Amino acid sequence: MARENFKLSALACIFGLFLVSCGNSEPEDTGLTNIDTTKEDELTEDMFESPDADYTLPSPLQVASIFKKSGLVYHSNITNPTANVSKYTEELKQMLNFGVYSADMAYCVLNEQSNEGRKYLTVITTLAEQIGMEAVFENEDLMNRFDANLENKDSIEILMIDIHVRTETYMDENDMHHLSAVQFAGAWTEGMYLGVYDYEKNKKKENLGAQITEQMSILRNIIKGLKDPKNAGMELGWLITDMENIQNTFDGFESVTAYYADENATELILTEADFKTLGDLVKSLRGKIINE
Amino acid sequence: MKKTFTIIATFCFVVLFAQTASNLTEFKENIETQKVEAKDALKPYRYDGSKVTYFNFKTYKQTKEVEVYLFNNTDYRFSFNGKSLPNDINVQIYDEDVTITNRILLKEFTGIQGKNVLVETTELNKTYETKKPSGGRLKRVFVSYAIPGIPGAENKQPTMKERGAMVLVMGYKI
Repeated sequence: MARENFKLSALACIFGLFLVSCGNSEPEDTGLTNIDTTKEDELTEDMFESPDADYTLPSPLQVASIFKKSGLVYHSNITNPTANVSKYTEELKQMLNFGVYSADMAYCVLNEQSNEGRKYLTVITTLAEQIGMEAVFENEDLMNRFDANLENKDSIEILMIDIHVRTETYMDENDMHHLSAVQFAGAWTEGMYLGVYDYEKNKKKENLGAQITEQMSILRNIIKGLKDPKNAGMELGWLITDMENIQNTFDGFESVTAYYADENATELILTEADFKTLGDLVKSLRGKIINE
Repeated sequence: MKKTFTIIATFCFVVLFAQTASNLTEFKENIETQKVEAKDALKPYRYDGSKVTYFNFKTYKQTKEVEVYLFNNTDYRFSFNGKSLPNDINVQIYDEDVTITNRILLKEFTGIQGKNVLVETTELNKTYETKKPSGGRLKRVFVSYAIPGIPGAENKQPTMKERGAMVLVMGYKI
């Protein structure tokens, strides 16, 4: 008897699925709505209700573009060597260095170092495979496209935007949005490192200094993103601690407190000592991220 | 009798579960299409990123806010796509977040449902300069979605009719 019941139920299931697959996808207002939405709610508890206060993060390409526009010049051998990729065996390091290498690739491409940029595309693809995002790079011969446009900076920038869009879409579709803060933490740290490095070589670049300061405004939201409960299993403690230390140190600078105390202040200008302190903290964090 | 009930209940459960999954898949697919549409509308500005804000219309008013950075005196274009809205909402752009009581309203518009609307930061900066001459250029803005209350909405268990999303795509001038 029980076996017969099971068979009939299974048949009902198959028939139900068949009806749905053939049917109109428009929702209908039936008396069964309440039952319908109970299941719907279970399925979508977090995915379809955004937080009341949300934020956007810029792309690594834009961060590099901001620094470039501010007078940052290219220095060879300061990016994270591609050979380091084999050191990143943990998921967290793979995620972070996906961001680091994305920033490095943008830095190379914007400074017309396409051959270097190509090497970074290779390691980004490797890391994407390791973190389960290989689909971002599938069905598209990015390397051939890159090679075909090696001398065309604009086309390579567009290719980088395509990669960014595909990464965003993949994360959205797979409810991985919480991980974007982890990747961006790597990209932000590397961008700041490259900015600080160039600024230390030429402190007359006031605009570059201003951009380093401006990039600090993102940090609070990166930390917020890292603290997303969905990231709880990633052992982000050390990263959050270091980033909070950078944030708190920055907030404690006299120049910063004075800026926020003055309602009419339009530009925040850090002192040389502030830059030194900030730069040291960024370099220290970057060293931990890339396993220096 | 018991057997018949079991079969009917199983059947209903399976149909409704599959229907829900199908509706949600379609909802997500539509949003991806709208993102592409909003991105295309950015040109000639260069794509920087996107933010999809999901919400459910309820019987009471709600507000969702998104912070957007404006770097290095760069001009930005925002492309808002409201084609996944079952009802219209009110979009407001401010210089500060909701906790600042005297924040400045830079732009406000309605009629976004079913449309793609563009906003540029040159316009926002002009308004900001007029309203706060000592303020300099905007370094970030807060996009606030005022979601009206809908009588009879299912607050705890929203149906597809109450599900909405605003797609915001940002681009910067090269």
